[in-house]
Amino acid sequence: MRELKNLSDEKIVEIVRNKDKNFYAEIIHRYEKKLLRYALYLINDEHLATDAVQEGFIKAYVNLHSFNAKMKFSSWLYRIVHNQAINLVYKNKQHSLFEENLELDSGIDLEDDLIKKELRAHLHNCINQIPILYKEPLTLYFLEEKSYEEISDILRLPIGTIGTRINRAKHLVKKICQKKQ
Amino acid sequence: MSKKTIKNKTKIERNLEKAIMTKIITGSINMKPRWFFVLGSASMIIGLVASSIGAIFLMNLLFFSLRQHGPMGEWRLQLMMESFPWWVLLLAIGGIVSGIYLLKKYDFSYKKNFTLITGVFIIALILAAFLINLTGINDLWSRQGPMRGFYQRYSPFSRQDLSIPTYRGKMQNKSRNFTF
Repeated sequence: MRELKNLSDEKIVEIVRNKDKNFYAEIIHRYEKKLLRYALYLINDEHLATDAVQEGFIKAYVNLHSFNAKMKFSSWLYRIVHNQAINLVYKNKQHSLFEENLELDSGIDLEDDLIKKELRAHLHNCINQIPILYKEPLTLYFLEEKSYEEISDILRLPIGTIGTRINRAKHLVKKICQKKQ
Repeated sequence: MSKKTIKNKTKIERNLEKAIMTKIITGSINMKPRWFFVLGSASMIIGLVASSIGAIFLMNLLFFSLRQHGPMGEWRLQLMMESFPWWVLLLAIGGIVSGIYLLKKYDFSYKKNFTLITGVFIIALILAAFLINLTGINDLWSRQGPMRGFYQRYSPFSRQDLSIPTYRGKMQNKSRNFTF
């Protein structure tokens, strides 16, 4: 059991694919909390988020042979759950009614650490108000602590676009939260 | 976070793992076999190559057709518009669009500037078609090979409805005795 904990995701996937499918429980165990939190940020509904994560895990298992072991498994899994969550968001039309091209104040640049503290303190509500387009990379970067490259793999967007969206999202969150205060 | 919420979340997580693993162990969900994805990748590559070759060929046919009709005098233009193979143009565009769609499916596509990839792809196809036209390979194809009939359909000189001066009578080799 201790050895299992030391194995990388990719190694476990190899075992699930070729030897023992019961090892998939370890994958679920490793990611369910993180994925539930991420899906909840996107959907804002606990039951729908659970559905998205469950469907995501099932899809990942069914298509496990399509996973390229040279890539990062977590990004692949996040991508699947992300797609499930987005489908549910549009199905239930709960996405933000904010316009995507909201006018932004330029020239205001806060330190990332400060933004992180703010986010952790009281910005959950503010994040929920920004368009999903910006919510996705922002949540992955600040809350899931993913790198730009991982976010690029999850959202299938160029790294430059990720940077721009995170920057815009930061300004948006700041603007919304300042209005609330 | 309240104790109740934490308890509730732990319960959801436990249920989630149990529900998925039960489905896996009982066999109600199964992994798709490896060959399924290999076949998918292979057909995607074949599709991309086929649509690219098809688009090059059809665009080359357009170049060939334009060249055969010569410079654009007004009546020539009208003639060309009437006989222009529009369906070939539509099919060529279809080939390009499906090629771009297949390119988008590849993992590398989102890491690069996809507009640039699309632009390079289209220019490469047009350039390839133009080069075939420039080197005269299509003239060779219009005279021999499996695509001969196809090219000849768009060559005005081989069309029966266009009148090329021919002598339809019988040639007679009679001596003409003129008397004044």
